[in-house]
Amino acid sequence: MLNDRGFAFDPTSGETFQLSTTGLRIVRLLQQDTGHEKILEHVIEEFEVEPNTASRDLADFLLSVKQVGWISE
Amino acid sequence: MTPTLRLPYIRPTLSRLNQGPVNPFRLGTSPSCPDIDGISVPELTREHGSPLFVFSETALRDAYRAAHRAFSRRYPDVQFAWSYKTNYLNAICRVFHQEGAIAEVVSGFEYEKARHNGIEGHNIIFNGPHKEKADVERAIAEGAMLQVDNIDELLHLGEITKGRTEPLPIALRVHLSTGVQTVWSKFGFSGDDGELQQVVRRILAMPQLRLVGLHCHIGTFILEPEWYRIAAKKMVALALNAEAMGAGPIRYLNMGGGFASHARLHFQYLPPEQATPSMDRYAEAICDTITAEWPQGRTLPKLYLETGRALVDDAGYLISTVVAVKRRTLHDPVATALAAFGKNGPATVAGAPSQNALVLDAGINLMYTTTWYQPRILPVRPCLDAPTPTTVFGCLCMNIDVLREDAPLPGLTTGDQVVMHPVGAYNQTQSMQFITYRPAVVMTGPGGQVHLIRRRENLEYVQEMEVVPSHLQNPE
Repeated sequence: MLNDRGFAFDPTSGETFQLSTTGLRIVRLLQQDTGHEKILEHVIEEFEVEPNTASRDLADFLLSVKQVGWISE
Repeated sequence: MTPTLRLPYIRPTLSRLNQGPVNPFRLGTSPSCPDIDGISVPELTREHGSPLFVFSETALRDAYRAAHRAFSRRYPDVQFAWSYKTNYLNAICRVFHQEGAIAEVVSGFEYEKARHNGIEGHNIIFNGPHKEKADVERAIAEGAMLQVDNIDELLHLGEITKGRTEPLPIALRVHLSTGVQTVWSKFGFSGDDGELQQVVRRILAMPQLRLVGLHCHIGTFILEPEWYRIAAKKMVALALNAEAMGAGPIRYLNMGGGFASHARLHFQYLPPEQATPSMDRYAEAICDTITAEWPQGRTLPKLYLETGRALVDDAGYLISTVVAVKRRTLHDPVATALAAFGKNGPATVAGAPSQNALVLDAGINLMYTTTWYQPRILPVRPCLDAPTPTTVFGCLCMNIDVLREDAPLPGLTTGDQVVMHPVGAYNQTQSMQFITYRPAVVMTGPGGQVHLIRRRENLEYVQEMEVVPSHLQNPE
């Protein structure tokens, strides 16, 4: 469960998480089955960020999301 | 085509919430520091580069005036002496001298600086455990106030002044048990076990010297003003005792420094706003005690104070830029300890908890005080993001270069700027040139002016004192 302020509750583990605003936007895109490359395009288009920075941060973020078990790859 | 309005970027982060550190219902309030003294931080670094030390002249003057007011409204004869070792940038010293502070120096080098800053010898307190012969002779000739630290210095002084017709006025440094854990016994003679009285007896046998003052410095960053009350009571008793032994009138008591700034010690539970006593509490403890203990009807001794940190620390800022971001795996301390003995496999395991980490363009060589204090680190850009514990690394190629282990920061990214505060005390005088050039230092004026008070170092400056032997002149 995810609210619009980035507060997330994982009913399978009982843990709670906090997403930053950019992180929340990415998770919403993941929920819509958006591909990773498309997500990167969205981030660059919607936020004031250099492509290299966005790409590096997205990779880090996807790793975090994978580590908590929300995505498999 | 209308350009799309892009939102401010915040690094995407996912933080596991543990009980306590983050309240998810109070988001969007990461504190920030977009300007210093009303001058925008990016504007300052555009002109002077990053990192950049900034001192607020208004804050320096306000701190001095508040301290002076706290003491002078309680005591008739107070004189502050600017502690050069705390920060001896000439511009900083001159602000305090303009406000009325004399100088307190602890070496020949600092003595020269004070003279260069226009302070006459009789307005210099010469302290410190080691004073070179030539420096002592100059100080005597110029009428400086000598505060004797040890018996060797006293005997040496006796030699230098042998044959004087007019006795040389001197003061003795004293260390006292006041409640501070570990008495600062490096400084001066013990006031608790009769050592001071032995030294007074020696002075009585040296007609060329006359004891006129006592000095103590009970410690640094003293958060308990009551310890000054104990010190002041003991100092008065020692002064009256010395007079009773035949030393003549003790004209001044010097209570040294040690008042706390709004820095935060490692492991300090309460925030500085709650832990740091007001200057009035220090003043009350010292002034009321001397006034109550001094014999009624006699003129009170002059009170000297060598406050450094409490006057300059809060006026100093260090601006720095994020040059890299990382995730830092948190090691389980038990697993780490077991791994050190080859048990239970590696201490770092896949999926172990991790936290945000930043690399700044300033290292601990500029921030010596991070050994004892944790500076507040604020992003320059207001961020609508909840702060999470973030490790802040410096830019040195050394593993110990950690400015803060757990600074609460939003998800900053490369190019973002941060401001560290308070950093005004000791970081200028104790910083060292290492790997990079030390940054420029500016002082912001009350009218929005920005004065460069120390230029950024360059290769020529760093190599100025080096000499290459002739057989190495030709690199081939």
